Amino acid sequence: MRAAALLLVVLAGPAQAAWEWNAPLTVNSVQGAAVFPHIESANRQGVAVSGDTVGVVWEDNRDGSPQCYLAMKPAAADAFQPEVRLSRSDCFEPVVLALGEGRFVAAWEEAGTVHARVLPGGTALQLTQAGAAQATLAMRGDALYAAWAEQAGRFRRIVVARLALQADTLVVKTARPVEARAPSDEQGWPALAVAGDGSVSVAWEDRRSRHTVPMVSHSRDGKKFALPARLTDIESGSAPGGLGAGTGAMRPTLAAWGTQGVAAVWLDKRDFLSGYDVFAAFDSGTRRFGKNMRVQDSFGDNMAQWHALVVGDAGGGLVALWDDARDGTPDVWLSEWDGEGFGDDVAVPAAHGPGAQSDPVATLDAAGFLHVVWLDRDETTGTRVRYARAERR
Amino acid sequence: MKLIKMLLAAGCIWAGAALADPPKGYPFVNYDAGLKAARASGKPIFLYFGRYGCAWCDHTNKTTFSDAALKKLYTDNYELVYVDAESGKRLTLPSGERITEAELGVRLQAFATPLFVYLTPQGDKIVQIPGFKTVKDFRDYDRYVRGGHYRQKTLLEFLGSKS
Repeated sequence: MRAAALLLVVLAGPAQAAWEWNAPLTVNSVQGAAVFPHIESANRQGVAVSGDTVGVVWEDNRDGSPQCYLAMKPAAADAFQPEVRLSRSDCFEPVVLALGEGRFVAAWEEAGTVHARVLPGGTALQLTQAGAAQATLAMRGDALYAAWAEQAGRFRRIVVARLALQADTLVVKTARPVEARAPSDEQGWPALAVAGDGSVSVAWEDRRSRHTVPMVSHSRDGKKFALPARLTDIESGSAPGGLGAGTGAMRPTLAAWGTQGVAAVWLDKRDFLSGYDVFAAFDSGTRRFGKNMRVQDSFGDNMAQWHALVVGDAGGGLVALWDDARDGTPDVWLSEWDGEGFGDDVAVPAAHGPGAQSDPVATLDAAGFLHVVWLDRDETTGTRVRYARAERR
Repeated sequence: MKLIKMLLAAGCIWAGAALADPPKGYPFVNYDAGLKAARASGKPIFLYFGRYGCAWCDHTNKTTFSDAALKKLYTDNYELVYVDAESGKRLTLPSGERITEAELGVRLQAFATPLFVYLTPQGDKIVQIPGFKTVKDFRDYDRYVRGGHYRQKTLLEFLGSKS
């Protein structure tokens, strides 16, 4: 019995060791049973840290229609400032990126096109004339990029834009589709990363193979992109009898990582009897992603994972997050890359336990702090957007 | 069993497969249109939660939904809704919350596709059933739903007791 207890202690040790968490905070100032916040976005880019300021974006319907909001707080403050509304018309899937020195750029879908704005201050710029959605942002140095899914005939395709910043005003310098030819099926949910060498990687969902395949392309200059390649290392193909076209996958995310690398994480249903699993692949700097690996540990087997993302930093830190209900209700989990593989799954303490905690977004700041935002659902009192910061022990 | 093993086999060659969309000839509509129609007609909703390229969906369409009598039974008596498990298209739940079709899979805790969900005309869930099903299965589910047995019994209890 003592041996069993000791074994449990040993096994539990690594799962608690890595991070020390601050007390969680509530971000949204308006909650209610009929107010529904969402922090879904392309590349799950809902929180950023700019200098000493944390910024969080989300969408909710408190005003009677879906609108996008940004809330900020100094890192040391124990409360968020009242949120700023970003949009005027129906707004979805906002993202936020740090510009430095407490400034941010946010992008979102509004009334069927993509908009962006520098905050604080700044005025919103409509980035697209054609119908477009699922915006995302990435930056390195003064090179600022956006990507979105834009209507091109019957289907949407992925467009990458280089943006310029003139004081508090954004300007679109170039906006080009990753592929010049018209899409043969739907493309969407782009993720962007700018690696240490300045090259731009873009991943997205692509249905040209008659099922959803995460694909990726690279550009040295953000203008001309290489032929798309599959992120997944399994082939498309029908089951015997010509049934179907391949297994499912969705919502690729990217993070610049280390000096040259890019990491990708997405939801993958190649083991289709256990729901979506979290899968990852790495580009070490060759601009080619390698073998796929499953991220979540064996305690997440036979359990659907949702809302996966990856965040990284220049120092080589890399963390994948998602939610699953292995302990009975949805909780937020993370796994950190240890140089050879993803470590044991660790629950975010304030996003674990009774109730439903889901939809994580996260960022690693320049000091190595991990900032996580998630939804804490309560059908009676309403859903809270929650935030917590962690540092390595 | 042999078919199951065949379908489980991975890495098959792309052969210009049929799409795993709604079965042909059925008047499936999106979630919002189906919920609106159900509120007007008073018919229950039959929600087909499928995935683009899903082999089991394709198998169900070809093997089960090709049955003409089943097609008439479901077309006459249900509002037919199709939801794409990986889509970013939006729908509005009866609560008023607007989510994506993919997020509906999260809320349903969908493990696999196809997933069949029976809803009241107000959009409340009656029962959800995953995986390939036969014509007989769908006839049994229809009796369970339209016969109102779900008010007294679980589906398993109903199936265990029916004559």
